[in-house]
Amino acid sequence: MTYGIIEPISRLSGQNNNFMITVEHLTKRYGSTLAVNDLNFSVDAGEILGFLGPNGAGKTTTMRMLTGYMPPSEGTAKIAGFDVLEDSLAVRQRIGYLPETPPLYREMTVQGYLHFVASIKGVSAGDRPRRVDWAIERCGLTERRHQLIRKLSKGFRQRVGIAQAIVHDPPVIILDEPTVGLDPKQIIEVRNLIKSLAGDHTIILSTHILPEVSMTCNRVVIIQKGRVVATDTIDQLLNRSDNRTQYELKLSGNLQALQAALAQFPDLAGVQTQSDGDNHLVTVTTNGDTDIGPELTALVVQAGLRLYEMNRRRATLEDVFLQLTTSEDTAEDEVFASETAADS
Amino acid sequence: MRLLWANFVAIYRKELQGYFATSLNYIIAAVYWFMAGVFYIILFNAVQANVAAQDLQGQAGLGAPPVDVPAVILENYLGVLGFLSLFILPLLSMNLFAQERQQGTLELLATSPITTTMVTVGKLAGVLTFFITLLVPVMFYESLTLLQSEPPFSFWLILLGHGALVLLAAAILSLGLFISATTESTLLAAVGTFALILLLWILQAVADRLSGVPAAIFRHLSLLQNYTSLIQGSVSTTNIILFLSYGILGVFLTVQWVDGLRFQRS
Repeated sequence: MTYGIIEPISRLSGQNNNFMITVEHLTKRYGSTLAVNDLNFSVDAGEILGFLGPNGAGKTTTMRMLTGYMPPSEGTAKIAGFDVLEDSLAVRQRIGYLPETPPLYREMTVQGYLHFVASIKGVSAGDRPRRVDWAIERCGLTERRHQLIRKLSKGFRQRVGIAQAIVHDPPVIILDEPTVGLDPKQIIEVRNLIKSLAGDHTIILSTHILPEVSMTCNRVVIIQKGRVVATDTIDQLLNRSDNRTQYELKLSGNLQALQAALAQFPDLAGVQTQSDGDNHLVTVTTNGDTDIGPELTALVVQAGLRLYEMNRRRATLEDVFLQLTTSEDTAEDEVFASETAADS
Repeated sequence: MRLLWANFVAIYRKELQGYFATSLNYIIAAVYWFMAGVFYIILFNAVQANVAAQDLQGQAGLGAPPVDVPAVILENYLGVLGFLSLFILPLLSMNLFAQERQQGTLELLATSPITTTMVTVGKLAGVLTFFITLLVPVMFYESLTLLQSEPPFSFWLILLGHGALVLLAAAILSLGLFISATTESTLLAAVGTFALILLLWILQAVADRLSGVPAAIFRHLSLLQNYTSLIQGSVSTTNIILFLSYGILGVFLTVQWVDGLRFQRS
């Protein structure tokens, strides 16, 4: 197992020119509170990186430091090789940023607003109409381009927010909670839009919503209380979980024979039964990721039970996330970190 | 340099478009024009009546000196306009930064390749342009009446007098810009600006109760004192420099404050 805190440093020890975004020892203090504590990670060109953490974990603060909006207390962040503090203007030319609340002028039309953004992002007057048209089309705003932003629904406003982040075709796009407050259909549309931007653009997507990460991102940084608790690909993260597999069976009939047989079964972590009269819900947990489905069904048939439903549930990103972020205070975090370091 | 100019133009254009898209500004303009018009008629008639009385006295052999009627009207009217502007200008400057902060667009400006100074100067130029457009119809009816006088009154004097008003407005708007940057509430920005400029306006009254150096300082800083001496036709560089200093001070404070917002937790 490779763990986040170790991994990016080893990747950085080579040439960091290959990375579009590199973050080293990034720290932000507000008075005595540490909002972001010694963050290290890097993002390849064309990659979508998910920046995952519970609310208040320091995601927005990190995004703001990456965009050069907030100066870090310690450490450095580089976008396309430019330091966010020292080459702030160069960095700002190369990023598109969607803050948590889309920065919209309510009294402007969609098109007028995007023209304005293009002009302050340094797009030359000649290129502006082409770039604005491109962003409008890309974000599905063609029919709304002459409407006042004030009159748009939340979903469309979010799209305008994304359009302003891409209108100057920046190599790096930073999106802070882009799907908050949208309905399920809009969420899917926005996610597809984000996915379609990868490749040409390097994207950091901050979110507290897990499916968002598993559906759109190549790699995930999980932070908790301002610290990185894991950096990995989604597959790797899933492998990292304790590998238990659960089977849920909905049965009816007499359970005694089955329970006796399961007691003899090797390598089980536990069997739970919930009964409602003659109907039972049996949950069987295995220790490894051994596939015991065929054996289970055979046992069920032998025991003369009727099987209505059988589900195999493997560890999800939720489990990993909860496992990584539920520790209550930093002391526990440290214990966790040392344990996992020993593990790997 | 070209980039700075492009930044300035981008902000300036956005601000101007914003002024014409906001209904409140139409109401402000309407009220300003109405009040200015009413005061002009009152003043015009009052001066006429006065002059007629003086003429009568002259005919009676009391030897009153001849009066330059257009100059008297213009001077008094610019005084009225200056006072009226005290109420209008905070309403024009209140939105400049407070609204950007409130709707989160300041974060867009701050993460764009554009300097805070250019944003501030662009905004100030935008609002000043709007104020100047407010003055155009006023100057039109002034010219219509005052230029009829015999011997002819110079249009340049009207222009010059309103130049003083624009200088006053630039100083006030610049300070209002700063106040607007310190809060997210447009109402607070308007009230705060009004309080500040009222204070600067009546500084002269404070000076009258003091003596020595403090009195001189207060008198020198007073907006009213400097404005009055400008519209009385005694164009002195100290007055102009004072207004420009207020303007530059406002821009400087705004830039510092807005850049300082980056360090705040919000």
